[in-house]
Amino acid sequence: MTGEPVKVAVDEVTVAFASHGRSVVALDRISLQVAAGEFLCLVGPSGSGKSTLLRVVAGLLPQTSGTVRIEPSRPGTPLTAMVFQEHALLPWRTVLANVAFGPENRGVVRAAREARAREMLALVGLARFAGHYPHQLSGGMKQRVGIARALANDPEVLLMDEPFAALDAQTRAIMQEELLRIWATLGTTVIYVTHSLEEALLLGDRVVLMTARPGRVSQVFPVELGRPRGLEIRGSQAYGVLLEKIWAQLREEVVRAMDDDRHAPLA
Amino acid sequence: MSGSRARRRLAEHGVAVASPVLVLLAWEIAGATGLLGPAFFPRPSTVLAHLGRLVADGTLAGHAVATLARVAGAFALAAVPGIATGLAMGLWRRLREGLDPVFAVVYPIPSVLFLPLVSFVLPRGETALIVTAAVTSFFLVSFTTLEGVRQIDPLVVEAARHYGAGGRRLFTAVLLPGALPYVFTGLRLGLGYALIVVVAVEIVAASRGLGALLWLSWQVLKVEDMYATFLVIAGLGAVLSYGLAALRARLLPWAQDLTAR
Repeated sequence: MTGEPVKVAVDEVTVAFASHGRSVVALDRISLQVAAGEFLCLVGPSGSGKSTLLRVVAGLLPQTSGTVRIEPSRPGTPLTAMVFQEHALLPWRTVLANVAFGPENRGVVRAAREARAREMLALVGLARFAGHYPHQLSGGMKQRVGIARALANDPEVLLMDEPFAALDAQTRAIMQEELLRIWATLGTTVIYVTHSLEEALLLGDRVVLMTARPGRVSQVFPVELGRPRGLEIRGSQAYGVLLEKIWAQLREEVVRAMDDDRHAPLA
Repeated sequence: MSGSRARRRLAEHGVAVASPVLVLLAWEIAGATGLLGPAFFPRPSTVLAHLGRLVADGTLAGHAVATLARVAGAFALAAVPGIATGLAMGLWRRLREGLDPVFAVVYPIPSVLFLPLVSFVLPRGETALIVTAAVTSFFLVSFTTLEGVRQIDPLVVEAARHYGAGGRRLFTAVLLPGALPYVFTGLRLGLGYALIVVVAVEIVAASRGLGALLWLSWQVLKVEDMYATFLVIAGLGAVLSYGLAALRARLLPWAQDLTAR
């Protein structure tokens, strides 16, 4: 971790819920710190609670115990803004009205919120599509709108839940580079959930590997591949070594999770 | 440019225009050749002539206005509480669970049968007629509105909450617009049903209105007038239905290809 102050402090967070009369622990005493301006990637096998952790940080899901603290640096703006996997735009609102939705709910006057929305649309390269409806856009464009909507809210921390998982490979590659450019421009703190190690290494300052059932932090890997980073890092030796190292660990977790599934009593 | 667009539209909707024209043409020919007896199956051209006379002497206008006023009344009586009930049922599970069995029992009862029931509690005549015609439409609008609320993607609702929409905002900015395409479907069905029931009730219990005119023409064996009234009722139904569809297209541009989503 760099010398930046701590932006997000997750302390001993546990999430448990009842399922078929049994208590299922999704997150088990997770502790994690994210520095201001850091790009943190969460990876792990399915069922490791990466998305659950993101939802707890977003305030969408209450934790059973533990605390999440986000250090505000400016008063009046929301702490987090989430980019959802399935874009989750409001189909009945134009692109502009979707992006302006957060500020609108906070009572920002029309002229100001629309100016802000236009600025963010320009940043994601969709200035010309302000008047379109979501159904008129491609998957990649919808996800850009999702990012613009999050940024228009001017959050302390940007949360991204596998935002590019549903896109085709080419679009995903373009979106990843776009995201890096935007992040470099704004310097926002980002927590990014993905199941792709390649994506995590391309984007992240650190990669947090999580274990499945219960979700715990298995290991944290600093990604020392320099910045700015592009898809060309895939050819570098350091990238290959780190990928191999994380994959070896992840593989163990995946196998263990599958083993658990096999021996679990049928619900 | 506009000529080619008109041609494309004709090609697209040609079948829709051609099919009724073909039926009428076949009918006309069958009548002219004596295949269909003129006593019960007058030729379309004869019917049109009678229709012209009914329009010219003002008979039709009077009956049509009576019917339209009743349809408007029944529709308003069905639509407003129907939307409100559907929304409330969509928002509160308890209410939904309570009303569902009642609706399931009452909804399939043929609407005209409500006329005597309604007449017990309401003054006979206009009011009873309008309330009777509203019953089934009310259920149709309620059902579709409820479905409209329930089909809203929970992820969209979660996202809207996350971006600060709660309470009234969530209702006005998310649940209501999200349900609107279904509400419109319900209104379209409900309006059609209101017309059906109004005409049916006019046949049994009114001296004015298109249903009454149709029945009277039949009873005095003015078969041509009966067919002419038939045509007017059918045309009215089509205009109301397409009118609401056009209104929906204008008001909900985002829902155009909802089915393709």
